[in-house]
Amino acid sequence: MADLEVRNVTVKHKNLTAVSNISFEANKGEIIGFIGADGAGKSSLMHAIAGIIQFNGEISYNKYVYHSPKEAEKIKADISLMPQGIGLVLYDTLSVEEHLEFFADIRNINKDAKFLAYKEKLLHMSGLSNFTKRVAGNLSGGMMQKLSLICALLHRPKLLILDEPTTGVDPLSRIELWEILDTIRKEEGTIALVSTAYMQEAEKMDKIVLFDEGSIIAQGTSKTLIDSIRPFTYQEITEYKEDIITFDKHSYSLTPQKYEKSEPNLEGLFFINALKNNKTLPIVDIGQRKSSDEIPAMIMQAHGLTKRFGDFIANDHVDITLKSGEILGLLGANGAGKTTFIKMLLGLYPIDGGELKLLGKTIKNANDRMELKSKIGYVSQHFALYNDMTVRENLLYFANMHKIPLSSALQRIKRYSQELGFDKYMDKFPTEIPLGVNQRFSIAAALLHEPVVLFLDEPTSGVDTIARAQFWQILHKLKKKWGISILITTHYMSEAEYCDKVVLLKQGKKIADDTVKNLHKLHPEAKTFEDIFLTYFKEKQ
Amino acid sequence: MKYNTVKAYMIKEFKELVRTKLIILVYLLPSMIVIIFGYGIRLDVTHARLIIIDNDKSKISQMLSSKFEHTKYFDTIESNMNEKQALRRIKQAKTDAILIIPNSFEKNLLKGQKSELGVFVDGAFPTRGTTIQTYIEGTILSLVQKVLQAKGIQQKKLISINNRNLFNQSMRDENAIVPGIIGLVLLIAPAIIAALLIVKEKEKGTIFNFYASSLSKNEFLAAKLIPVFLLHSLNIFILFLIAVYLFNIPFRGNFLLYWLASELYILVSISLGMLISVITKKQIVAVVLTIIITVIPGFLYSGIIMPISSMDGVSQVEAHIFPVMYYNHIVYDTFLIGQGFHSQINLLYLLILIIFSFVLFSAGRILLKKEMK
Repeated sequence: MADLEVRNVTVKHKNLTAVSNISFEANKGEIIGFIGADGAGKSSLMHAIAGIIQFNGEISYNKYVYHSPKEAEKIKADISLMPQGIGLVLYDTLSVEEHLEFFADIRNINKDAKFLAYKEKLLHMSGLSNFTKRVAGNLSGGMMQKLSLICALLHRPKLLILDEPTTGVDPLSRIELWEILDTIRKEEGTIALVSTAYMQEAEKMDKIVLFDEGSIIAQGTSKTLIDSIRPFTYQEITEYKEDIITFDKHSYSLTPQKYEKSEPNLEGLFFINALKNNKTLPIVDIGQRKSSDEIPAMIMQAHGLTKRFGDFIANDHVDITLKSGEILGLLGANGAGKTTFIKMLLGLYPIDGGELKLLGKTIKNANDRMELKSKIGYVSQHFALYNDMTVRENLLYFANMHKIPLSSALQRIKRYSQELGFDKYMDKFPTEIPLGVNQRFSIAAALLHEPVVLFLDEPTSGVDTIARAQFWQILHKLKKKWGISILITTHYMSEAEYCDKVVLLKQGKKIADDTVKNLHKLHPEAKTFEDIFLTYFKEKQ
Repeated sequence: MKYNTVKAYMIKEFKELVRTKLIILVYLLPSMIVIIFGYGIRLDVTHARLIIIDNDKSKISQMLSSKFEHTKYFDTIESNMNEKQALRRIKQAKTDAILIIPNSFEKNLLKGQKSELGVFVDGAFPTRGTTIQTYIEGTILSLVQKVLQAKGIQQKKLISINNRNLFNQSMRDENAIVPGIIGLVLLIAPAIIAALLIVKEKEKGTIFNFYASSLSKNEFLAAKLIPVFLLHSLNIFILFLIAVYLFNIPFRGNFLLYWLASELYILVSISLGMLISVITKKQIVAVVLTIIITVIPGFLYSGIIMPISSMDGVSQVEAHIFPVMYYNHIVYDTFLIGQGFHSQINLLYLLILIIFSFVLFSAGRILLKKEMK
């Protein structure tokens, strides 16, 4: 019998089923990885195992079987849960030292020499030894996550549940988090359940459980999973066929094709699963734009742009240029200053220093922007949609804001909804439809007035693999057909591959700025973009 | 109950209250409300602006005018303007009342005949208007009575006015208002802080530390509520000192009773706040809900605006539903009357406060779940 057995667990939130009929096993010292998009049910399952939400089915831990939070109470001394969200369980006004003190006390730990040595070791591993007096509110995102992790480890839990501990954290801190986790589980024989949004982290897990829409689509070691889809993975196929999905230099098909095979990756599992369920990528197609404004060669030139919030410098003399017809990726961890930069471009934050030229015009005050507004499209983080209006009403509202005549507005809305494949959701509310669809219709809203430049703030965060693939297709088609320029921010380093040029931000400073091709040339040893950025992160440490 | 755990959690709560500056709310808010309301609410009227139009110009009418002149309640102007002009002054809010003395006032009076005086009062603020009207009538009637008695004319219809006030002989507003405000403040302030305590952790996410640990519900509640209880207990003394030394309210009763009732009352308030904190998800909702539940009934049924005994029907019933009435009865007793523990009603009301805190606390404790909704 395995140390942790989850049998037929179903979790419901009121009438919505978050996960249904989940079963898996885990043993001492194993890291089990939960991979899937937002809303796939990873968190709900973790909450059920941690005994903090009602569920159906049964969970057995060390031969103790529980069916409800009440019954789970007995084993909570053995469990540690780190919920999703950066610094979620930390108290802003307490220092690092006070946190360790507090977590030790609520776990009723005897503070003997052995504990103190363990605590010192955790502090050392997390690199927080020099920051014990700093309050949690002033820590960086990465430090907060490391502190949360060592707080969760203080009472030497036997079952460690970490819900997306690395999402939005800078690459270096992410590696450190994994190192701590790896050391501890070996020494203490901890079962670690870890969910992640980054496919690359799958290598570090002993077993992977892939989630899609509330159920497990595959589980096993990284190797067996990749092997399982090898027969269906091909090199990029340019020809369009109903039963082929192509994305990121790979093509997937269940029926044998005459093309060359290629080495699959874990993302492929989601595409194969989609094919198995007869879900193909709807073709997105973008028609020609109606208006034919002349587009200047230089879309945006920022020179020494600076933004301060009190003592905190969110953007420190950042120089970025965006040329016509270019997709520029602005990459960085949470808090690196990506959103602040976009908000300065849009005039949502006043600029504290530096010079900004948009579409060839120097921006001095709000009046300078007025005439530019009709040329800029913007999608904000979490999509600023009105949740009590249907998709159609939302789009009409945006069209009204841009003073588009009703007849042409209706025409465009109809066209986009077909082209971007969300026409069957037109009379639904944003809360009722998948995140990926919301993402596409937010783009449609930003395109209604046919802008020449798009600013997209973390549009792919939390969206599932397939929707993300589709989203990037849309962006590439837009660039091709409209000659539009795009500035997009993301914390997925792997998405750099789809951009023409990338700028890497770290704590408000620019640490890299080059085309994707050049970066690959400069770092031939790097397998992925992740590795390239890591070298930059270390350099500037 | 693991005492070390509770202690550690309590220490964290104290630190957070201090560092998030909520401590200012604990000590500044109650004293501030008592001081502002204590000085601010005036139910009696002084220096009302009165225009006297004396058409009679007789001895008695002049006596009447001078009587109005020599009281702090009125600032009088004698004028020859006509009625219409005077009424306009009221409309312009340049005067509060007009008294018109008819031209045969003295003559009629001495003959024992009826005579009509015109009194016009600005009724924009009804309570103030009624009060002014009563003052004017009282002044006129007492003068008339005196004059007639001196002349030996018997007039049965004259009403004698007894303006002696029980328990507040000095007729000081502060005596009536300040103890009532204490009852209002000690209901609102602890409830707001308590309402924030749990919902704050829910909103931030730190509530997971409670959900996912072996901390029991009792330990969690003890750690949350004891700090607020202790901090607010100090307010009982601060408010007492403000009442007695700043507002010079007499304290005739039993201090032990005041202290005991106040601690119980704080317990009621904290339990109410905790209940709200348990059922809400956002801090802002918790605060608004607490304010609505405490301020409005607290003010209406505190006995400041209107004594409970003079309410009828629904309002009587409602007054008995909220704890403020019971506490205020005891507070008024300890400050102004002084029956203390000898009064059976006081003892009954103490018991009711105990029941209130028990019911509210139990409801909160039952509804608090160590799981997500």
